Amino acid sequence: MIDLSRAGAVAQPDGEGRAGGGRCNDRVRFTLGLVGDRLEQVRFGADACASTTAAAAWLAARAEGGSLLDGARLGLAEVLAGATIEPTGAECALTAVDAFHAAIGDAVARGAVVPADPNRVVVAMSGGVDSAMVLTQTVAEGHEAVGVTLRLWIDPEAPSPERACCAPSAVRAARDLCHQNGMPHIALDLRDDFRAAVVDPFVAGYAAGETPNPCTTCNGAFRFDAIDRVVQRLGASTWRTGHYVQLVDHAGTPLVARGVDATKDQSYMLALVDPEILTRVQFPLGARKKVDVQHEAAEQGLAAANALESQEVCFLGGGALAPFLERQGVTMTPGPIVDEDGVELGTHAGALAYTPGQRRGLGVSRGTEALHVLRIDAPANTVIVGTVGRLRRREVSLRDVQVRADTPRIDACFRMRSTPVAGRLEHGPNATGTVYLETDAHQIAPGQVAALYDGERIVAAGIVAG
Amino acid sequence: MRCDNARVIYLDHAATAPPDPRVVEAMLPHLTERFGNPSEPHALGRQARADLDAAREEIASLVGADPADVVLTGGGTEADNLAVLGRAQGTPGRMVVSAIEHPAVRRTAEVLARRGWEIAVAPVLPNGRLDLIELWDLVQTGDALVCVMGASNVTGVVQPIADIAAICAEHAVPLHVDDVQTAAGAELDLSDLPGRVTIALAAHKLGGPRGVGAVIGSGVQSLDPIVFGGGQESGLRPGTEDVAGAVALAAALRIRQGVEAPAERSQRAALRDDLEARLGLPVVGAEVERLPGHALLLTGYRGDTVVRLFDERGIAISAGSACASGETLPDATLTAMDIDDDAARSAIRITLGPTTTAADIDAVVAVWTELAPALHVAAEASA
Repeated sequence: MIDLSRAGAVAQPDGEGRAGGGRCNDRVRFTLGLVGDRLEQVRFGADACASTTAAAAWLAARAEGGSLLDGARLGLAEVLAGATIEPTGAECALTAVDAFHAAIGDAVARGAVVPADPNRVVVAMSGGVDSAMVLTQTVAEGHEAVGVTLRLWIDPEAPSPERACCAPSAVRAARDLCHQNGMPHIALDLRDDFRAAVVDPFVAGYAAGETPNPCTTCNGAFRFDAIDRVVQRLGASTWRTGHYVQLVDHAGTPLVARGVDATKDQSYMLALVDPEILTRVQFPLGARKKVDVQHEAAEQGLAAANALESQEVCFLGGGALAPFLERQGVTMTPGPIVDEDGVELGTHAGALAYTPGQRRGLGVSRGTEALHVLRIDAPANTVIVGTVGRLRRREVSLRDVQVRADTPRIDACFRMRSTPVAGRLEHGPNATGTVYLETDAHQIAPGQVAALYDGERIVAAGIVAG
Repeated sequence: MRCDNARVIYLDHAATAPPDPRVVEAMLPHLTERFGNPSEPHALGRQARADLDAAREEIASLVGADPADVVLTGGGTEADNLAVLGRAQGTPGRMVVSAIEHPAVRRTAEVLARRGWEIAVAPVLPNGRLDLIELWDLVQTGDALVCVMGASNVTGVVQPIADIAAICAEHAVPLHVDDVQTAAGAELDLSDLPGRVTIALAAHKLGGPRGVGAVIGSGVQSLDPIVFGGGQESGLRPGTEDVAGAVALAAALRIRQGVEAPAERSQRAALRDDLEARLGLPVVGAEVERLPGHALLLTGYRGDTVVRLFDERGIAISAGSACASGETLPDATLTAMDIDDDAARSAIRITLGPTTTAADIDAVVAVWTELAPALHVAAEASA
């Protein structure tokens, strides 16, 4: 029976979630009224087909009176069985499940607090194989694992938005895995925050002629901050991610160190993470090799084992940079490509889409020399090119320098998994600094993150200023 | 009516009518002792032939046709296919098909279009009736066929077939009328129709069994066969004849088209009108002639949700649009009538039969009175 007695809305909800749209224009909305972590009132609105409405009504009845985390355990399979929905109605029922979980996530985002449980561990899940394995491992260890997935902004005009790591399908995959394991899942909708904290600076960086690295901003600050904020609210004191990094102790402070699997090491991406947050984080995959993890995931039959790995900038959704920037209001104006003497060698379609070091797609030549982009002069809309030798640098100035441990010499990395270059860091005023390298480094562009290692561990980090 | 399952009020007669005991009784002997093959010369065969001829004569007489113009088929869809494809066995030409045809005709026309036929679609007015002025312009001498539903299975709107037949006759174009739904609630009389006309019937809409239908009318003589075999049914529907089915169709037509039918139709229409008045919902096609027990109502909420809620309360009705694979597509008939998608998705179809009672109508009104406020709250809260 579709029980319509909980149709309606909580007047001043502690959590609210919506889902729907598509061709049938179904709409579902949940509002939650909490007393402590108890779902005192669960109300639904539905202008939707029978399967969707039945699922919404069942979820409201089932969740009301239970705890927030019990609600977060309710998945599609349970809804289909409980509300007696035919398998053909599964997609419709999913709309109701999405709306319900959006409301649960919103309640957590608004500050709902769950009583602490020392056995509870939050697992940050992207929908991919690594975090899936962390979840199953955490469950196998006997913990109550609460999966948390962030829903992030993706260019709506991207050619394949589902390729992004935090797309709706990835959120559902993470949620399904939690529910298969009887564990709660919380999805935090941070699309607006992500846009403001990661996408907008990315666009602004390009507009200023820099080559920003949004992945380090996202991993290093945005995602860690966002998840750490809710860990305590969810009654946990520690949380885990599927990053291939390790932590080492330095005088009581945890430092990010390279993962054992050099081919998958993600320490560069976490160079900017606040050490205070790191005191609560565990990286169970840091000591493992990716092939072993994948093998084990396949053995466990994890659907995520074969999931496409997101490699490029996720919110581009497989699209090209230049049209994305244009859609974001960055004007691409054709201009000159010049050498260091100012000799015009050709024209570009818009200087901002070029990256120092880039060689392909320039369409200019000077004799038989291979030419690379040396730098972008954003105000002059000019791309300056030169030979690879001119890209080599021994001195790199940094801003926003964070020092975790003072060491006389460092190994600097300016890109993910690039070969480290030995040198030393000299501090300047206002968190600036200069890295003096012992050998040449190239392909260094303003806006990139400089991760400074002492052996395997990151002792300092900053943003390339020039 | 209340079915064998005494708790169900069945108001989906347009989907299929409950078996009429009189029909079942009439056909039973032909499923047991009178089993002969009408093509055989022995006594059992001769008996079967006589039964079949008698049934054919009764069918013909009940719709005003010649017995030689009755081709029995394996159901309504097959009848429509024979009537359409039976005129499309030669070089591809042109056909006119109304915008509100049942898939049995519409899909067949689509297949012909893929084979090189030109298919012209005749539009309907917002009231659901064919636009006769447009039809007049659309039909061309030399067209292979015009197809028009006698009455819509969705809206129940009855088409002005005499006028349409006159237009077709004027252009010397054969007309096929899908009367599968019409036969259950409107009088069929082919005797006055000019030109070459065929109609399609299905027994199960009339209280008879599934898998029994017919193509009937003067146009039958000029059809080409679409299946081949032993030459039965004038070679248009080869295969050993279904005598029981023919007897059942005759018995069902006797009930729906016989002398007592007009009074029953009036009674059904009165119950339907009472239902519509008490529910107070917008009625599709209200301003034109409709089948007597047919109500297509715009609820303002999703039709299939309303249908499920009625079902849970023991009342079987139907939605105007079906949800398939997570997409509720509005019905093509309603789209052709310029009804917007959301309104079309909110349609429910309540179709009464000869056995529907005033108590059934009371039950529907009571359920709707209970449901409407809750559905309103749910829809408001979704915004």
